[in-house]
Amino acid sequence: MHKYQIFRYSTTLLFLLLMTAMSAQVDTQISLSSQWHLLVDFSQRHLLANSFDEIMFVESQLPRIVMAIMVGATLGLVGSLMQQLTQNPLVSPLTLGTASGAWLALVVLNVWFPGFVGEYASLAAMLGAILTLGLVILITGIRNMSGLPVVLAGMAVNILLGAIATAIILLNDQYAKNLFIWGAGDLAQNGWQQVQWLAPKLSVAVLIFIFAPRILSLLRMGQTGAAARGLNIVPAFLGLFTLGLWLVASSITAVGVISFIGLLAPNIARQLGARTPKDELFFSMLLGALVLVATDALAMLLSTYTFDLVPSGTAAALIGAPALIWFTRRKMGAQDQLSLTLPKSRYQMTPKALPLMALCLLAFSVISLFISKATVEQEIVWLFSFPDAFGWQIRWPRLLTSIASGAGLAVAGVLLQRLIYNPLASPDILGISAGATLALVGGTIFLGLNIFDGTPAIAFIGSMSVLGLLLILGKRHQYAPSMLVLTGIALTALIEAMVQFALARGDETSYTILSWLAGSTYRVTPVSALVLTSAVVLLIGFALLTSRWLTLISAGREFAKARGLNVPRAFISLLSCVALLCAIVTATMGPVAFVGLLAPHMAVILGAKKAELQIPTAALLGASLMVFSDWLGQNLVYPSQIAAGTLVAIVGGLYFIVLLIQGRRMA
Amino acid sequence: MLAAQLSVILARAVLITAMILVSWGSQAESQAPVQVEDSRGLQTLVQVPSRVAVLNWDVAEQVLELGITPIAMPDIAGYRQWVMKPQVPESVLDIGTRVEPNFQRLATLKPDVIIIASPQLDLLPKLELIAPVLFFQTYSEHHNNAKAALDNFKQIAKALGREELASARLAKMYANIEQMKARLEAAYPDKLPKVTTFRFASMTSIYQYGDNSTSQYALSLLGIEPAIAQGRTQWGARQKRLKDLRHVDEGIALYFRPFAQESQLESSVMWHAMPFVRAKKMNSVESAWNYGGAISIEYMAQALTDSLLEIAPVKPELTQVSVSTQQGELNQ
Repeated sequence: MHKYQIFRYSTTLLFLLLMTAMSAQVDTQISLSSQWHLLVDFSQRHLLANSFDEIMFVESQLPRIVMAIMVGATLGLVGSLMQQLTQNPLVSPLTLGTASGAWLALVVLNVWFPGFVGEYASLAAMLGAILTLGLVILITGIRNMSGLPVVLAGMAVNILLGAIATAIILLNDQYAKNLFIWGAGDLAQNGWQQVQWLAPKLSVAVLIFIFAPRILSLLRMGQTGAAARGLNIVPAFLGLFTLGLWLVASSITAVGVISFIGLLAPNIARQLGARTPKDELFFSMLLGALVLVATDALAMLLSTYTFDLVPSGTAAALIGAPALIWFTRRKMGAQDQLSLTLPKSRYQMTPKALPLMALCLLAFSVISLFISKATVEQEIVWLFSFPDAFGWQIRWPRLLTSIASGAGLAVAGVLLQRLIYNPLASPDILGISAGATLALVGGTIFLGLNIFDGTPAIAFIGSMSVLGLLLILGKRHQYAPSMLVLTGIALTALIEAMVQFALARGDETSYTILSWLAGSTYRVTPVSALVLTSAVVLLIGFALLTSRWLTLISAGREFAKARGLNVPRAFISLLSCVALLCAIVTATMGPVAFVGLLAPHMAVILGAKKAELQIPTAALLGASLMVFSDWLGQNLVYPSQIAAGTLVAIVGGLYFIVLLIQGRRMA
Repeated sequence: MLAAQLSVILARAVLITAMILVSWGSQAESQAPVQVEDSRGLQTLVQVPSRVAVLNWDVAEQVLELGITPIAMPDIAGYRQWVMKPQVPESVLDIGTRVEPNFQRLATLKPDVIIIASPQLDLLPKLELIAPVLFFQTYSEHHNNAKAALDNFKQIAKALGREELASARLAKMYANIEQMKARLEAAYPDKLPKVTTFRFASMTSIYQYGDNSTSQYALSLLGIEPAIAQGRTQWGARQKRLKDLRHVDEGIALYFRPFAQESQLESSVMWHAMPFVRAKKMNSVESAWNYGGAISIEYMAQALTDSLLEIAPVKPELTQVSVSTQQGELNQ
């Protein structure tokens, strides 16, 4: 070993020991010497520990620290393994969506098969995680895991599965209640059972130590180089990935979702000079343990000083989100050479088709106004009827909101995909919508606001601060796409952690937050529907007027500059337009996913390739999609309802995945 | 085919008209306007309403306790699973979730009055287009929840013309609780113990009930003080670490069922280290709804009494009739 390497390992180990010792002192009432005695004669602990405090130390504090070390090390190791396998510094169990796969599987198990929870929970979580990963690989292709697309696909799958889980919880809230503490990621232990349960499951990590270093070294030579040296890439890749997923799924089952550690640890390891695959694996593992022990000590400390119980997962996200941006900021290089490639299409659309599409939107609107399920003499029937004065007052604000938010998000999607040269970009994947959501959820939890009061001012502050942050960070990094994506990932994970924190408190407030997050037009007032519509009309108008900028930027920044465009100014005004659209829609009806991703693609597939045609086409398609989803959501589980935002995420997400898989097959 | 359908509809129409006429006759005396004080202030209803829609579980419970079958309430399956008492008749129509009740279904039912609680407060302007709305807030950190539940019960009774029944029901509740108290005093001859109640959230965390919770109010009526003082919150519950329960000290700790991992408690060293487990001053309580209306205080007191009697130093005599069966007879 190199001298510096020895120094690096020994210092980190020393820190880990120090943190462990400090963590043991949080909320512990017994003296250091009696702690030492209990540790030295650990096998005799049942005889030695007599007082309540001694038993707490042995049965609660110690297993918690051991658990933190085990889980932290596992997450660090697996994060490093995945990042090296894909040669992508942004890959982790969090960004691949596997955590939400496990979460969905456990929600389903708890709601519909509560009898199986005890025995099959880990199996379900594992299955959920593996199926999710399969889906992500299916979308991007196994040989295409090194770039941003895999992260974007992971986030898309994340949103899709999250939406399904939220819908299930909302319709069965009381059943899912016992999942909430787990969902928030809690390391607290009651005895050694969980440690004993998890330890053998983690022992397969030995296989990674044995096989991974050689395979990873070969992979560094590139896939063809590795194949030339006799490495059978696909089985090696899948084998190692499955091993990693098994480790993560077991950890998730034991302690819940703890994000960021797996993403952060390898990045810090490389920053601190870990070079060889083996070095990075081991050092990431050590760092993972250190980071989680430290975070968990902070969570315990916060819990003793506040009334609320702070779950470890929340603390990890609070630290991890900013740390992620900090540690990966150097990798946000400019990627000017990128230019936009959207899905191929056999069709060529002319502006003449637009009235036809407007007619289609009109048809959907008519359906949603006049056809619905209804109760006639106690029986539920489908009914075609003209709404009475009351029905009209209930329906028109919902319809108008659906149209305006669908159109607004679709246009935001068109702008964003062209601005950051990524056909997989969607405003809800980036931080801008997330900023509005974060501000509203935070206001509800910490300031006690009613989230349904729709305070657009707070949503705007959220969106605009994220936009400001993006612009400041972006200027330094020439507005590289990866920066936008990273901010989005960080904020989204932060929101998830805060929501889980709110849910874990277990009162009825959490239920209202969750139903707001579903994105429903139910509570929209006539006034806010009108405000939303006028704002969206103005912003779409702006986008149409500046479509020449967009066309030039789509062709590449250098090209646009050569044609006399002030690229930074155009970029900032268009990005602000995106942020405004996202903020106003989120403030009015809550977060709505996928419309901004889906509608621009559908427009291109229908043949609207030029910016000035893609904008109105996507707007009409997005509006139709939302109107249809809202109508379906109101009638599918009548008399209950599924929020339009949830349904759009599910329908849109599935359609999008099919689209991507087909696109790959054609290519 | 069409003729058959028409005749069915005609028959129904005749039946409904007949029913309306009959009910009109019996309610002719209740045509005068009613004034009630809801959580917003004084409200006036033109007459005693007969078609009552309720949009939250706690107000549903209050109305059902008054012997009135509401025409609609939310999430009936959930109510049957979690609130349980009093039972919901089959004829009540489901109007969706508590957070998003179905406006149009509600409107077609043509209620005379709609009774809501805080989760529906922001829907008030739309609901008032359907029918007059009464808003009763039970759970808030700014008032005494139990007192609010009792006041609301009386006001709802006034609105629905069942004041006498309400005072009789409340008197019976207090009498029943007095009986429970007497039995507890007999079973704990020295002094009634201090008691803290909680619900498990996981193997390591709990929701501890304190001021403003139904269970603590029921205990206070039984003459029992809390083992751990806990300030007022909106729902009366606060999330805590399991180990914080050590402060129960000499008192008794009771946890509400169901708890999915109950079987794991047996093997937990930490659980057995708790002072109340060591002293065997611990028991489970049959599941009871913690966020209900006025009469849920009695159901809660009953569940807590049953649990406390099970672990009492003096076993209750077997010949004594339990309060719950007496109550059952009274109801019939």
